[in-house]
Amino acid sequence: MPNWRLIAKIMGFLLFIEAGLMMMCQAVCWMYDEGVKAFSPAILTAVVGGIAGLIFGKNTGKKMGRKDGYIVVSLVWVLFTLIGMLPFLSDGHVPDVASAFFETMSGFTSTGATIIDDLDIMPKGLLFWRSITQWIGGIGIVFFTIAILPAFGVGEVKLFAAESTGPLHDKVHPRISVAARWIGGVYVILTLLCIASLMLCGMPTFDAINYALCTTATGGYATHSDLISDLYHSPAIEYVLIFFMFVSGVNYTLIYYTILKGKMKKFFRDAELRAYLIIALGASFICALSLMVKNPLSDVEEAIRQSLFTVISLQTTTGFATVDYTLWPVQLMPVLLFVMFAGACSGSTSGGFKCVRLSIIYRVLKNEFTHILHPRAVTPVRMNGNIVPANVVQTLMGFVALFVCSLFLGAFILALSGVDPNDVHPNFDYYEAFGIAMSSISNVGPGMGYYGPAHSWAILSPIAKFVCSFLMLIGRLEIFPIMILFTRSFWRKG
Amino acid sequence: MKIVIAGAGAVGTHLARMLSNDRQDVVLMDGDENKLYRLSNELDIMALVREPTSIQGLKDAEVHRADLFIAVTPNESENLTCAMLAKQLGAKKTVARVDNYEYMKPENKEFFQRAGIESLIYPELLAAEDIKTSSRYSWVRQLWEFNGGELLLLSVKMHDAHPIYEKEISNKDNQLVGHTLKEIGMAHGHNFHVVAIKRDGETIGPHGDERILPRDLVFFMTTKENLAEIRHLTGKDDYPAVKNSLLIGGGKLSVRASWKLATIHDSVKIIEPDRKRTEELQALVAPKTMILEGEGYDVDLLNDEGYGSTEALIALTNNDQQNILACVAARRKGIRKTIAQVENLDYFDMANDLDIGTIINKKMIAASHIYRLLLKGDVDNVKMLAIGNADVAEFVVKAGSQVTKKKVMDLHFPYGVNIGGMSRDGHSMLVGGNTQLIAGDKVVVFCIDNTLKKLDKFFK
Repeated sequence: MPNWRLIAKIMGFLLFIEAGLMMMCQAVCWMYDEGVKAFSPAILTAVVGGIAGLIFGKNTGKKMGRKDGYIVVSLVWVLFTLIGMLPFLSDGHVPDVASAFFETMSGFTSTGATIIDDLDIMPKGLLFWRSITQWIGGIGIVFFTIAILPAFGVGEVKLFAAESTGPLHDKVHPRISVAARWIGGVYVILTLLCIASLMLCGMPTFDAINYALCTTATGGYATHSDLISDLYHSPAIEYVLIFFMFVSGVNYTLIYYTILKGKMKKFFRDAELRAYLIIALGASFICALSLMVKNPLSDVEEAIRQSLFTVISLQTTTGFATVDYTLWPVQLMPVLLFVMFAGACSGSTSGGFKCVRLSIIYRVLKNEFTHILHPRAVTPVRMNGNIVPANVVQTLMGFVALFVCSLFLGAFILALSGVDPNDVHPNFDYYEAFGIAMSSISNVGPGMGYYGPAHSWAILSPIAKFVCSFLMLIGRLEIFPIMILFTRSFWRKG
Repeated sequence: MKIVIAGAGAVGTHLARMLSNDRQDVVLMDGDENKLYRLSNELDIMALVREPTSIQGLKDAEVHRADLFIAVTPNESENLTCAMLAKQLGAKKTVARVDNYEYMKPENKEFFQRAGIESLIYPELLAAEDIKTSSRYSWVRQLWEFNGGELLLLSVKMHDAHPIYEKEISNKDNQLVGHTLKEIGMAHGHNFHVVAIKRDGETIGPHGDERILPRDLVFFMTTKENLAEIRHLTGKDDYPAVKNSLLIGGGKLSVRASWKLATIHDSVKIIEPDRKRTEELQALVAPKTMILEGEGYDVDLLNDEGYGSTEALIALTNNDQQNILACVAARRKGIRKTIAQVENLDYFDMANDLDIGTIINKKMIAASHIYRLLLKGDVDNVKMLAIGNADVAEFVVKAGSQVTKKKVMDLHFPYGVNIGGMSRDGHSMLVGGNTQLIAGDKVVVFCIDNTLKKLDKFFK
């Protein structure tokens, strides 16, 4: 059986961290004289829950089992969301539990889909809380904790394994807590650079901080409901965002080696990065070309900028928008859906399927064709010169199956649960259901059709909101850690 | 501290596990990814799939930053090569595991140091040494010698009978059972100390109010002269002296053990099933060692050659289960002293419950030897006790270190730490609360539950 006392103890620790984060947002409220008391109940709940966890988990052993790691990681994401949604509820801007849960889960999974129609009337403290949830969730709640606590003490390896993304894990340091600190350092530096660049381009401070937090997290929460292009009319800001979205989609281990160790060669030889670049540039090229053909008189630079921004925003699963891409030529929709599915690199803050998996699958396919012609050829799958173990390939195939099943099942339930028939957009088209499912499981944010960047997802039924939240969660944790909890053998003794 | 371990075999894995639990930065390299794959998901280490003898591989492991490089692949020449390479690439200290007695000779030490290998380790030799010291007396479970045999740490089972060996547990001769440590200390404090008690799988630190119970395994620290007193007090006077020993299994460890045992025993016999190996053994073992061809579970052979005429049975095959069973069988036949090689750490407590006398574990012996290199204080000797979750270390007291400033009882050592004895100017004595340590003393410290690391600062 799982070691519930140990799990409670770790939960207790983590809740204190959440309380600390919410106190920061409360401070933002005070700074802007908003007088909002939105955070007090949530902070209180987190602290009480934290103390209860620590008391229940007192005198527990230090030995963490494999199962405990999965329970901790899955549970913490749900628990953080449950407590993190309280500020939205007590403030009153979000009316019901389903919406608040959705909004917070969308934050922590760095998805960026919102149910808030008008962000401009929201208190700044709450807007900041949304950005913070993305920033923490982007790197991973447990990862963040391991990085900031001097010594977590128990089961870092197991927790790390359950939360990190991608099929292959590279460490930058023998000890996970130190490695987490280095990677966290890269994350912080990227965020600070992004803030500075945005401010240099003329963005107001509060917006710059929030946009930067949500960019490096590849989350996509905005502080205003308008499109970025309509707000600032600044190509410079858009280019800055393109750059930082792209960089945030690169494997942080690779960034660490490139920047801090000066290994430029390694950077451009990385197979995953190449796949990422090829997909991003190829898709942008197709988009720009289509836009120019459709509207030959348009500004070439603008077409390229819009295409780059949209493709990179969707591929890194950020979800910012400078243009409503749902109005683009229809042949571009499959392209955009594909980049949403592909995602950026493993070990980054982005979601989706991840380029490393596509890259491995490409190699497996290539080997298959070689095998047909040369049945006796010995063809191991290699990534960056290292052989990919057969069990990794096998796990990858399992992941493909689970991903596709979840996607279709999610779209099916979404279409079934429908929308409120009295609302502005009473009909649910199949491609909208599919777009929402894809956007949720890939942690992108905007979907297809009505649910593109121009509208919020507020009109979804409560069931649909919970289905989306669930898809976001399994997408963020890469399905297996959540699904394993639903297997009978997990709960069987021994 | 950054430690690079080359070779993910039994010793390498054990070291990686131990050092990563100790929060050291461990890089474990091995050319075989299957060996590493499972470990990297389990331990907080960096697992590198690289051949340890490849220069690029060593660079990838960043050996130039390593404080210690440990070469423990199964291949001796590979170990020597990669240790030398690592030293040239900038590793601070290097250790290599060897398989050759010649390399261990003191006169060759300097030669290896010049080649860039600070320390050589030969687990079979260390294990053979342990076998020798513990097979000296049949009534002692385990014995460690310090300061040239003047100071002794020994563990004694309070009554040496297990229900499966003898029908009735009698305890009339043991004069310690039932008394508290305070009472024992008052009566015999000058002659020996109780440093720990192992009971029901747990090691208990010495508390004045703790009472010694039947079936406890008690660790004593004493000087050579007082050994007889402990023997008398624990009621073991009728135990025979070990003069003849029987080894089961003709592996490398048995060869080394035969040489060590030849110096203290009258006869040593080795049973080995493989004919070819028996022929090889003739040339390898100490003179006068008798090689018998047969299986270790062959009862007829054991009846003929073993049970009647031997006082110690030492099972050293590569099969843990067979070793344990051989010892259980021997105990039933009335052999008081049994030693088993048990490589699986999970079997320790079970083997202890079955009253197998001494457990030999090469991994642990090798690991504790290497562990010594990691401590900052001047440490001569570290032993990790297979039974007991405890370490024994021999520290040299340096001038100006914390321990020289106060009397022992005012130093406030962490719980579980016990200074048992020391040697000063060549004389060995026990350490009491009123003892004042001075520079140059060599003290033997007994630590329970990984307290050794905390102790380091007292001697720095």
